[in-house]
Amino acid sequence: MEILVCVKKVPDTADAEVVLKQDGTGIKEDDLASGINEWDNYAVEEAIRIKETHGGTVTVATIGSADSEDVLRRCLAMGADNAIMIDDASFKGADPYGIARGLCGVAGKGSYDLVLAGAQAGDDGYAMVGPVLAGYLGWPHATLVTSILLEGKTVTVTRELEGGLEEMLRIELPAVLTIQTGINEPRYVSIMGIRKVRAKEIPVLDPAAIGLAPGEIGANANRIKRTGLAVPPAGKEAEMIKGTPAEIARKILDIVKERGGVA
Amino acid sequence: MAKVFVIVEHRQGVMRDATFELISLARELQSRSGLEPAAVVIGHGVRTFADTLSKYLPRTIVVESETLADFRYETYAAVLKDILERETPLVTLCPQSAFGMELLPRLSVESARPCATDCIKVEMEGAGLSVVRSIYNGKIHSRSTFAPSGGYLVTVRSGSYAPAAEAGSAGTIDDCPCPPFKAPFKTEFLGYREAAAGAVDISQSPFLVSIGRGIKDAENVPKAQELADRLGAVLACSRPVVDKKWLGKERQVGTSGRTVKPKVYIALGISGAFQHLAGIKGSGVFIAVNRDAKAPIFSAADYGVVEDMFKIIDALKEQIGS
Repeated sequence: MEILVCVKKVPDTADAEVVLKQDGTGIKEDDLASGINEWDNYAVEEAIRIKETHGGTVTVATIGSADSEDVLRRCLAMGADNAIMIDDASFKGADPYGIARGLCGVAGKGSYDLVLAGAQAGDDGYAMVGPVLAGYLGWPHATLVTSILLEGKTVTVTRELEGGLEEMLRIELPAVLTIQTGINEPRYVSIMGIRKVRAKEIPVLDPAAIGLAPGEIGANANRIKRTGLAVPPAGKEAEMIKGTPAEIARKILDIVKERGGVA
Repeated sequence: MAKVFVIVEHRQGVMRDATFELISLARELQSRSGLEPAAVVIGHGVRTFADTLSKYLPRTIVVESETLADFRYETYAAVLKDILERETPLVTLCPQSAFGMELLPRLSVESARPCATDCIKVEMEGAGLSVVRSIYNGKIHSRSTFAPSGGYLVTVRSGSYAPAAEAGSAGTIDDCPCPPFKAPFKTEFLGYREAAAGAVDISQSPFLVSIGRGIKDAENVPKAQELADRLGAVLACSRPVVDKKWLGKERQVGTSGRTVKPKVYIALGISGAFQHLAGIKGSGVFIAVNRDAKAPIFSAADYGVVEDMFKIIDALKEQIGS
């Protein structure tokens, strides 16, 4: 089983203040922690589990700058066999089609049975790269996958639907699957583990090496053209309860009694 | 005249609410920019949907076939590609859902039309289309246009537009034949499965205490459970708690979990992703406790507390007594 996992480094914006750059072209990332996209982490874990059960190799690939190397090393420490970095200089500002084009080039250089990707990314959240990549490869796909069972030349997967429902599908290999969070419990990566893989060579490929023509990718080739970023207008705001924890607790209980009528 | 199509989402014999939100958007594009709206419904046994849809939009296109009985992107994309090539709509709308996320990016490749996903606003700007997307955990809005194309595909986040009411006049229904498929298929639908089955039905409780990422560790979950017990509430949670297996899926509030409407909802350490907020629409009193004063949950809650959730849990327990 040869598995390719597509990963990406993203800034962690969940519990952080996000500030726009002065020219409005992006956000200030200097003060933000960053790491592997949460969905991708589950995809890497799932690939390694499949390898541990069925044998084969796991290759992780990213389109990113030298700054993304730590994410690839972390995947190697988790148990991936190989890592590939596609130099992102020519991918600057690429839309999901450009990224999928690049990953299609990477997939074409190997003989993979399965490509896994995160169902979406925590930064721009298109959830498009996986299914678009599958379209470029001419392979079947499934998105939002919550379990994978390998059976010969097919996989049986569940996809997450709404309202606590899932659907089951059987898919022929090779295929592209995009992974939903919660599919597994990603393993812990120790500092010792990362040290062990620090000397492992990570080839850096340029677009030509994966069969892309100049101009095929990057901002000018984009089909989705970003024209501006803005901080959303403030909506309705909650009435803030202030005071010591004891005072706050008393007010909460009053509200629950008076307005909720449940306690 | 240019057209705007709404791809109708249905599952297990029921049209999903998001479709009616997109009908509102299609009407808005009609009144503001003169686009001709139509619904496209494909599947098996969908003629009755068409009858309903014809009360909402001037035109409904129906493709009825046994092969389309269960949704698979393979068959649905093939039928839709055929319709797009024949009808050349300028804009095609679909919900950003498990259905739209599986279908539209692939249809984009198969039909060579660009697609933007998870949009919260869609409008014509001259001859082109302009969309707004909510990114970086809802903290930034990004506006985009497209490279010129004969048609644009868009998926829309649920809740972005209010559901439409009936139009009051009957529209036409066009029955279209199902194009031949290039079998064999590479995907096969096997069935549905209830992932959130469990002993607790949180949607039946009038009082929910709900925990999120802020609970930090599995060993802290009993503290929240104890508070819920003392308050006479049921313990619920947001997605990260279920992803980490600290609570079962049946306790998850949100789009992919349960939709709830309690009289009182207390959110502890939940940041307020839109998928979570979509699950508590129409609830009674909503109190949120979070350390991050900028957390999106405070734009949805009635009352907010910027404080460490554990301090509030302890203080509440002390006030209630044992």
